[in-house]
Amino acid sequence: MNWSDIWVLYRRELRSAFRDRTIVMNGILVPVFMYPIMMWVMMTGLVFVLGQMDRESSRLVILDPPPEHSVLLDTLGAQTNLEIQEDVVSEDSAMVLLRAGDLDALVEFLPPTDENSALEDNFQVLIRYDRAVNRSSQASTRVESAIADYRSEWLTQQAAALGIPETDREQFRIVQDNVSTEEDIGTLLMGFMIPMFLVIMIAMGCLMPAIDSTAGERERSTWETLMTVSASRLSVVTAKYFYVATLGILAGVLNVVAMFASMGVIMGPLLMDLGESANAFQFSLPLLALPVMIVAAIALALFFAAAMMILAAFARTFKDGQAMVGPVFLLAMMPILMGEQTDQTLTPLTAAIPVANAAMMIRDAINGVFLWPLIAETLAVLLAMVTACLLIARVLLKTEDFILLSPDGRFSKFSKIFKSSSRSRLGRNSSEGLK
Amino acid sequence: MAIANVKVEGLQKSFWDESRGEVRAVDGIDFDCQPGEVFGLLGANGAGKTTTLRMLATILKPTGGSASLNGYDVLADPEAVRRSLGFYSASTALYPRLTGRETLEFFARINGYPANQVAQRVEELIDRFGIREYAGARVGKLSSGMKQKISIARTIVHDPPILIFDEPTVGLDVMAALEMQNVVHELRDEGKAIIFSTHIMSEAEKLCDRIGIIHQGRILALGTLEEHRQATGKHYLEDVFVHEVMQAEDQSAKAKASSGEPGTSL
Repeated sequence: MNWSDIWVLYRRELRSAFRDRTIVMNGILVPVFMYPIMMWVMMTGLVFVLGQMDRESSRLVILDPPPEHSVLLDTLGAQTNLEIQEDVVSEDSAMVLLRAGDLDALVEFLPPTDENSALEDNFQVLIRYDRAVNRSSQASTRVESAIADYRSEWLTQQAAALGIPETDREQFRIVQDNVSTEEDIGTLLMGFMIPMFLVIMIAMGCLMPAIDSTAGERERSTWETLMTVSASRLSVVTAKYFYVATLGILAGVLNVVAMFASMGVIMGPLLMDLGESANAFQFSLPLLALPVMIVAAIALALFFAAAMMILAAFARTFKDGQAMVGPVFLLAMMPILMGEQTDQTLTPLTAAIPVANAAMMIRDAINGVFLWPLIAETLAVLLAMVTACLLIARVLLKTEDFILLSPDGRFSKFSKIFKSSSRSRLGRNSSEGLK
Repeated sequence: MAIANVKVEGLQKSFWDESRGEVRAVDGIDFDCQPGEVFGLLGANGAGKTTTLRMLATILKPTGGSASLNGYDVLADPEAVRRSLGFYSASTALYPRLTGRETLEFFARINGYPANQVAQRVEELIDRFGIREYAGARVGKLSSGMKQKISIARTIVHDPPILIFDEPTVGLDVMAALEMQNVVHELRDEGKAIIFSTHIMSEAEKLCDRIGIIHQGRILALGTLEEHRQATGKHYLEDVFVHEVMQAEDQSAKAKASSGEPGTSL
């Protein structure tokens, strides 16, 4: 292996890549602009949808309202987001309307469950709604909230009339106190979003270059040209590997930078639109998190580059390459879901699962958790996978069927490559392979 | 006699085929090529020309025999072989996203041309092939004629002593093919050892100092055009070729008949 040759080949790969629209799009523009655009679209969409839902009135039918509680009826009627339909007077017809989606909730007042209740005029309420319909669920929530408020006030009045102190009536009270700081909430959000998008961006950054530098070379007929240069096969492949990994790392780093920029600038103001206070979220990272994230990104890029290049190298055309690497790309995304379980940290078991381990390692780092032995295990697992891929690549490079992609060199005949490789050792020195 | 730049002895290439078993694509061929000589490999499609040339270019590995280029063995020192060689074929394309100048610089550097002389060499070739006007344009945007010139320049940019042209005029129009032939003549006059494969008889007649007729992986006859004429009594190379191939087919059929084997072909 000649490092001078590798440098010349690597520079050639990069120069070509930065002139390719698809690679620049996937490797640079998407990672840089995806976060701001995605966050803006997501949050604006959320604000819009919530606004729409808030403005939408809930259509109600109220049956058998107790005359003693006419104030409740007046309260419900006065609420602008509730629309009481008085022309429906039977439960059956109301249920037909509810099931047809022409009514959002049916509110039935029933006698109290205990007829010997100490309170006169007590009652119970049955709210019928369709949980499968958002508008109906919202109607149920609105009515329940309004009735609960009325009930609480009524009970207070009744207790006072009976001479029961408030503390005796309530017996106990539930009080919630959120001890998390603005930084904690910001960390939670970052821990949820960064690992997922970082992994996706690195994989996306590797995807096109991996296909372009292998299947693309074959499709353009530059593969054979490259096979006739004086650099060794190993130098050629090493340069390509570094190039693919570089673009994966680049996509990851750009993505992290863009994400920090967009979280503060875009997400903050949009969260304020949703009613959060200006300082409800603070996005900051522990000092050690950044180097840990960079190391994880490099390990992931090396792994994705190796795995994708091996698969794409079996393809004769760019399209075939996409078809071969695409499903693996999606498969690689699956373990990220494990990393999204925010109450889990790395364990010896999860650290052994490629991709998921890196996602969890990144999330732990964002949360300020640094489990060094498990970080070491994660990196060891990823590098072991990379080594396995490189060993496979080494065997493939010695196989003419693979180099020329003859029918026996296709992926479907992968196992036969190794057989034919041994069979082709008919002449002298052939075990040395192609250099 | 000058030391041969290319020496091929008993070169073989066998492939394994699931249905046919071992297939001998090249079956023990011998030839050599001297500096300042154009050696032609003349054969029909599938005769074994490209497989032979790919072995010389170290893209394929011989399964028997030996071949050395510029004194380097194709198996023992493939990188030195490739450094001594310029390989041109219809399937060796250029990088479309590099400019002509970048292409020449890249191939000069990667083939070990002295780094401090690369720029001068590239400009020299740009002038020689008249490509200055579009040397800064990306190759992917050039016409096929322009690409051909850059491709030839790419083949010789590292000034190799040996050149292999594998059916270089396939798909070219008459003028482009003539230009290619002129380049081959010039390179021969510069002392390069050139191996030129073709199935076009007129091209072989016009260009090659010696011609090897290859059929089913074997060289049937080897010599100058005059020697072929004298050996076969035929004047035109096309007639010489048909005569040699027919004779080989007859001998093969007789040999199989005497051994009781059914007729087979590669």
